[in-house]
Amino acid sequence: MRKRYSKEKKHRSGEIPTGSFSDIAFLLIIYFLVATTLVKVKTIAADLPSGEKASQTQSDKTPIVNLRGTEIFFNDKKVSVDLLNERLQALKLGENEPAKRVIMLESTRGTPYENYFQVLAAISAHQGVVAIVEDDK
Amino acid sequence: MKKRLQSKKRRTVPVPIASMGDIAFLLIIFFMVCSEVAKDKNMDVELPVSDYVKKIQVTVVARVAVDENGEIYFDGTRVDNAKDVEWGVRALLTNTISDDQRHVQFKCDRALPKETFEPVIKAIASAGGIIEAVGEKQQ
Repeated sequence: MRKRYSKEKKHRSGEIPTGSFSDIAFLLIIYFLVATTLVKVKTIAADLPSGEKASQTQSDKTPIVNLRGTEIFFNDKKVSVDLLNERLQALKLGENEPAKRVIMLESTRGTPYENYFQVLAAISAHQGVVAIVEDDK
Repeated sequence: MKKRLQSKKRRTVPVPIASMGDIAFLLIIFFMVCSEVAKDKNMDVELPVSDYVKKIQVTVVARVAVDENGEIYFDGTRVDNAKDVEWGVRALLTNTISDDQRHVQFKCDRALPKETFEPVIKAIASAGGIIEAVGEKQQ
């Protein structure tokens, strides 16, 4: 019985239909193109110096921006973001050598990132180099 | 002359489509290799606004994010503290040659206090990264 069955069975050659492969592939491409979102975020670049800690400020003439909560002080005078921009523009930092472009940034506890970001953006826009002032511990 | 033109036989030119599938699959492979999955897209971060933000022109080596709960993420993976970020950035920047390879994207929630975000900024800076702080354009 077994012998007869195996002998009688015809050998069939099965072919994989490849005709629609290109259609499938192009559909996949279209899917990727539609589903992909090209994200280009908007940023400000801030190159903070990573040097050693200095015990004292380099010079008394180094401009300093203080962030006290939501208030901004430039050289101990209260300013708005627009006024800070004007003051930074007046300094013409871009014309100086990198060592003389330093702007100190000091902030008190609880200062929100929103304010920090705006000051950082203003300093970077005027080609300043931000030096973060650390609290004494 | 006219007659001769009319008598000209029309020849059908077959377009070779046999290699279309191969081309298509090569294109798929190209897209899959070149594309990057945005890991921090669904993060709860409300971005700060500024007039000075502009579309990023450089390729970043790493993405650091601090969400509204103060949790720190390094390349989409949650890390314990700023020190982990520093070591991560430092490791990535060991073989860098030019400044173009030092850019690190920094995304942070606008309401977070200084105590939460400043250690992360300092960590990136001390590891040698140039911070690309993400924000939105003021309307």
